[in-house]
Amino acid sequence: MRFKIYYFLFLVFLIGTANLLKAQTPSDALMMEKNELCIAMIYQQDTWDEYWEGSLLRENKNIGVLTRNTILPMVAYGITSKFNIIAALPYVKTEASGGQMVGASGLQDFGIFAKYAPYEIKKESGSLSTFVTGGFSLPVSSYLSDYMPFSLGLGTQEFSLRGIAKYEHKSGIYLRGSYAYLHRTTTEAERDYYYADGSYYTTTMDVPSASNAELALGGWLFNRALQLEAGYVTQTSFSGDDIRIQNAGQPTNKMDMATINGRLRYFPSVLKGISIMVGYTDVVSGRNVGKSTILSGGLTYQFMLKKPQSQP
Amino acid sequence: MTFNKYIYRFCFLFALLSVVIFTQSCEKDLPRFVAFEPYTYAGLDDDGGTWKQVHMSSVEQIKIDAPTDPFSDAYKNEIAAAKAAIASMTSDEEDAVKYWGNNPIIRWNEIARELAAKYNLIPPPNADGTYTLPDPANPSKFPYFPFAHPPYSSRAYAYMSVAQFDALIATWHYKYKFGRPALHKIDGTIKQLLPSSDLPSYPSDGAVVTAVSREILSALFPLEKEYLKSKSDEAKEALILSGLHVQSDVTAGDSLGRGVAKVLLQRAAGDGMKFAQTPKPISDSIKNAAFVRFGWQWTNQESPVRPVGLTPLFGKVKTWSVTDLVAVRPPVPPTIGSADFNKAADELKNIADNITAEQRKVANWWSDGFNTTTPPGHWNKLASDYLVKYKLNPLRSARTLAYMNMAVQDAGISCWDAKYYYHYPRPIEAIPGFKGILGTPNFPSYTSGHSTFSAAAAAVLAYIFPAEKSFVDAWALEAAESRIYGGIHYRFDSEAGLVQGTQVAEYTINKAKVDGAK
Repeated sequence: MRFKIYYFLFLVFLIGTANLLKAQTPSDALMMEKNELCIAMIYQQDTWDEYWEGSLLRENKNIGVLTRNTILPMVAYGITSKFNIIAALPYVKTEASGGQMVGASGLQDFGIFAKYAPYEIKKESGSLSTFVTGGFSLPVSSYLSDYMPFSLGLGTQEFSLRGIAKYEHKSGIYLRGSYAYLHRTTTEAERDYYYADGSYYTTTMDVPSASNAELALGGWLFNRALQLEAGYVTQTSFSGDDIRIQNAGQPTNKMDMATINGRLRYFPSVLKGISIMVGYTDVVSGRNVGKSTILSGGLTYQFMLKKPQSQP
Repeated sequence: MTFNKYIYRFCFLFALLSVVIFTQSCEKDLPRFVAFEPYTYAGLDDDGGTWKQVHMSSVEQIKIDAPTDPFSDAYKNEIAAAKAAIASMTSDEEDAVKYWGNNPIIRWNEIARELAAKYNLIPPPNADGTYTLPDPANPSKFPYFPFAHPPYSSRAYAYMSVAQFDALIATWHYKYKFGRPALHKIDGTIKQLLPSSDLPSYPSDGAVVTAVSREILSALFPLEKEYLKSKSDEAKEALILSGLHVQSDVTAGDSLGRGVAKVLLQRAAGDGMKFAQTPKPISDSIKNAAFVRFGWQWTNQESPVRPVGLTPLFGKVKTWSVTDLVAVRPPVPPTIGSADFNKAADELKNIADNITAEQRKVANWWSDGFNTTTPPGHWNKLASDYLVKYKLNPLRSARTLAYMNMAVQDAGISCWDAKYYYHYPRPIEAIPGFKGILGTPNFPSYTSGHSTFSAAAAAVLAYIFPAEKSFVDAWALEAAESRIYGGIHYRFDSEAGLVQGTQVAEYTINKAKVDGAK
């Protein structure tokens, strides 16, 4: 009954929706100019009425439809054109249409990321660029991670390291791939015994670390006023137990998923610096996660904090 | 640009830091069992063989052969064999000796708790909205038998602990009757990995505990027979490798333990548990009787609706000590819609709207729901820690757990008697739109099982460890409150349960007072 959707959302956000931001995210292939600031506000609605209990896809009428709404403010700043800092702080609210369990709401995890663009090869036919992103996130409220599927997050610190490569043809069509290692520490439950393929006599739960891989195909249209992209993302935990039969999930679970997504970002010519984006994500397969459909929409505004210095 | 150099350095440092953090926290070494150091017993209870048994008719109801003479060649050969095994001990075997320690009661209780947690899963609905219940005659057919819910688990803990206690009283009787000296007294050169005592060595109390526990748990968790055999083999081997016993001590203990377990399992077969989970017509008649009597009735609120509550006739299961269940049945709860009811309902709504971090923690700490050891298991853990703290010998340990678990199962029986007699609706049913942070169980509200179990456990623990009374009473109170914070019980459920549990425990404590133990 519990899933790592929050985390997934966060990821989707970072990988997908927000990556529409020219202003970039930890996982996209975009960089801000020096002194350029981007402010983004994204809203996401994640719903599911089926989930994987281990590998069994099932419904649970005592949950009905689980809805997870996320409001995600984010900022990105170009320290140089090759080194950017990104920060995000989601607010999450969960509720179920069925059953008598109360949902949860509050601030989730604060994430901060540093992104570096070491190499770029430009040719007439197109360009190949590479990026490395390192990130860290940690819970900022006392939400209970051991309250699946309502919990706001995994309640763990996460260190991430991601490598990204992108090839963009001169026509504006691009292909991007990335691979990340997500190292999670532990989370604290409010009980000193739990069962996860055997007994644990501690309040501490090991949250499995995971890998995340993405492949995306996109393109720029109308003189780069419109960006379209479709992607495939897989996420695999390196360890963990399964949700037990008719039981709630817990942060120790092995949460895996594969998702497809599509997104669109539009830069209206009349509103300088503003972009509008919408996204759609579908979980196509999984383990111990909800079979989510995620709709997202947001606005970004980017501008120079300081005027570029004139060339000598 | 020089700034770029800094960036390179930053990236390098970050990568390095990541690797360091990764390798460090990869070793998330979380405890899989309760750690305790083997200890020297606070006392040996030389007169333990004269104590009154709970269920066995006499200490020699199960007979064992007299041991060989300590100066016989047969015995010397056994010692030589033990020494050879000790000399070739692997580090895994040494770990096993330390794990089992010299009080296997603690580990067998832990194993029982783990099985309770493993099997404490409620059957899911079928595709057509019906439910299938576990079948004791066909345990491996899904849903697997047993569903180790709190009544089932309370009974499992009680049978195991009572069997251990009765078997150990017989063990003490034989130990002092036959008087085979402790091994180190016969051969001072044997290497002993655990603290030794002057307790006579035949039969091995560890082997008795192991056999009796394995037999009881194998009957109550039939799909775990192989696992229990492997644990039992390891425990028996550890007894030899510890340097405290020879093979004949273990063999005799094994035989005694099996014999006692068999007698207790005969009681279990006829205690009424097999009728506790009733078919729907009986369940409906119980429900209707309450409605006629009181004008209310509890109905399961799940979707699809579970047609029968959990074990409606657990209240008819044979008690250990309570002689009159009606005498300990609490008074009629407030009429729904009455001032007293509304007051309790308002409290629940107020908590649900303004729950504090502390209340949430208490609710979760005592939640003890599916996939846990249940509230009786929670108390077994607390009691088990006291066995170590007070350095109790196996006999004293078994006595503590036997009385506690008898009282706890009787509390469960009494609580279930009240639950299905009054058939009182839960807050989610009686308070429109009410939601809480805990899942509501599949049985009526009044009285609270947690409160009744906890008060009974606390009363026995306070009797045995008077210095701990304030702690155990506070825990019982907290467990009772936790259900209110979780939104699944009214305050009057918890308060009545605490009184009921305390009264129920008196019956068992009165037995303990006259069992001969000082």
